Amino acid sequence: MKKIYCDIKKCLGCGACEIACAVEHSKSKELDQSIKESPAPIKRRKAESISQSVAISTGCHHCDDAPCVAACMSGAMYKDKKTGLTKHDEEKCVGCWMCIMSCPFGALTRQKQDKIVVKCDLCPDRDVPACVEACPTGALFSGTEKEFEIKLKVKTKK
Amino acid sequence: MQYVIIGSSAAGINAIEAIRSKDKKADITVISDEKKPLYSRCLISYLLAGTIDEKKIWYRPDAFFKNNKVDAILGVKAEKIDPDKKEIALGNKKKIKFDRLLVATGSSPKLEKIPGVDKKGVYPLRTMEHAVEIQSMLAKVKKVAVLGGGLIGLRAAYALKNRGKEVSVFVRSPQILSQIIDKGSADIMQRHIEKKGINIITGRSAKEIKGSTSLSSVVLDNDSQYDCELVIIGKGVNANIDMVKDAGMKTNWGVVVDEFLRTSNKNIFAAGDVAESHDIALEEKSINAIWPVACEQGRLAAFNMLGENKIYDGTLAMNSLEFFGLPVISIGITRPKKEGYEELIKINPERNVYKKIVLRDNVIVGAIALNSVDTIGIIGALIKNKVDITSVKDIILEDYFDYGKIVNLIKDVKQGFKEKEFRETIMTL
Ligand SMILES: Cc1cc2nc3c(=O)[nH]c(=O)nc-3n(C[C@H](O)[C@H](O)[C@H](O)COP(=O)(O)OP(=O)(O)OC[C@H]3O[C@@H](n4cnc5c(N)ncnc54)[C@H](O)[C@@H]3O)c2cc1C
Ligand code: SF4
Repeated sequence: MKKIYCDIKKCLGCGACEIACAVEHSKSKELDQSIKESPAPIKRRKAESISQSVAISTGCHHCDDAPCVAACMSGAMYKDKKTGLTKHDEEKCVGCWMCIMSCPFGALTRQKQDKIVVKCDLCPDRDVPACVEACPTGALFSGTEKEFEIKLKVKTKK
Repeated sequence: MQYVIIGSSAAGINAIEAIRSKDKKADITVISDEKKPLYSRCLISYLLAGTIDEKKIWYRPDAFFKNNKVDAILGVKAEKIDPDKKEIALGNKKKIKFDRLLVATGSSPKLEKIPGVDKKGVYPLRTMEHAVEIQSMLAKVKKVAVLGGGLIGLRAAYALKNRGKEVSVFVRSPQILSQIIDKGSADIMQRHIEKKGINIITGRSAKEIKGSTSLSSVVLDNDSQYDCELVIIGKGVNANIDMVKDAGMKTNWGVVVDEFLRTSNKNIFAAGDVAESHDIALEEKSINAIWPVACEQGRLAAFNMLGENKIYDGTLAMNSLEFFGLPVISIGITRPKKEGYEELIKINPERNVYKKIVLRDNVIVGAIALNSVDTIGIIGALIKNKVDITSVKDIILEDYFDYGKIVNLIKDVKQGFKEKEFRETIMTL
């Protein structure tokens, strides 16, 4: 399964991924326009400090045994049978926050105006997710676990 | 292999999907006494409130049984299990054979044992039929009495207030939501709900419901009367265990199951509201009659019916509620009833925020998050994995406490966090 990985050794916690994500999920997809929108665009990635100089950028991990899918009372949160990704159908969502309650990563966010939850959708309109593209250090990686491992190995050999 | 499932709600539906995901050919039969069981039970109060339309209530599409090649016997009650013959007797006099059986019969509302509960106009709120019936009589209703201040009572009250009715909730205990949250947080929620126009009377219960052809009033335990045309009873639920008990399997409050969700009969499993299983926080057998547990158990029981021997880690009480824009989420033990627990509390009255962590030997066993719910799932993960949180104890109630703050903990602990997604986040640390 292709998803987003973060190399903690490289992450600065600068928040560039957060901004790129929010803009990508805005109506205009332009930074200057998007900040005026209502509801305000919401980031689905979070750059979080681990300690003073260490940080991690997290988001939906598309868990194999996704607790949010089990918890969802409306059927809005579901597993894509083909790709294994955890998907969210905003039309079905009732804003009960059962998924928020059960996500061990705190990766889901409430969009209070329409009372729906929003989450990482891996940017379906793009080849490379916006956060990965925006990361100034190359800490974020989009691909399979194998590909990520290979990338890490190559780097440590150098 | 003939798989039979009794009950087609959260647990039953998830079991069907799990069996089908692994075995495309097996014979699956499901028996449900509800004619149209594919709705989400949790959403019937939303339907009653008018905040969702009927389309949204369907948890799975109409064609679900057909798509999964399930023989669905609907509108028929399973009446008797014969564990030796591996046979179920149905209400329509037919008999069904099984190799593996899943009991997913859920629970039924407790009714008050007071005179008048059988009158027309007195309803529990458990099925879509209840919601539809209540809705059909609303035109004639001005005032409503809700008996019980738990999740269902308050959801019903909210729904009927939303329909323009005058609603009073009578709660026997000194606080609302006493099974879910503590008094401190409940009091904030109560004041908030009252401000929006629902009357809540704690420490007061009903002793009689009066009326002739239609309802006229509820008589309270202080002999005062509350006039109303509709009464909703929200007094909790009882597990539907009778059939299993009569068949000689081990039952207590629910059908007792082991770590494979198997009953005392090796071919028969139980999942959901009906099952009594290990509780992670309480460390004893318990029933957590909630949707996520029913889904999770339905899936896991199904895998074990297929012979996979998957161990169930246990259940954890959790609930998410929101009334008039004020959300609260609770997990695990929120009101410890024994000695040996420590409580950390942080309150911000201006923002209506109330946060609480309950610890036992520096391991979190419960939490409440009122109006600050976004990262509560991380606390849930700490509860499930039973980690000593001493190293983050002083920041755990801070608003900036997020997943980043437990990354080092996850790396350092030897046990727990076995899901590969946790590993993925620390592989570069
Ligand atoms: C109004 C309301 C709001 C709720 N809100 C929440 C919430 O916010 N969060 C949460 O976690 N939980 C909530 N719940 C609880 C949740 O709905 C249950 O935990 C869940 O439905 C349990 O699923 P289940 O499959 O175990 O059993 P059930 O949903 O009870 O389903 C059992 C099914 O089996 C059928 N059945 C029983 N006996 C037989 C028989 N002998 N033969 C044939 N069929 C039979 C029943 O008719 C029923 O269709 C709510 C419940 C209600 C009523
Ligand atoms: S908030 Fe939406 S997606 Fe999340 S559990 Fe509720 S209905 Fe499902």
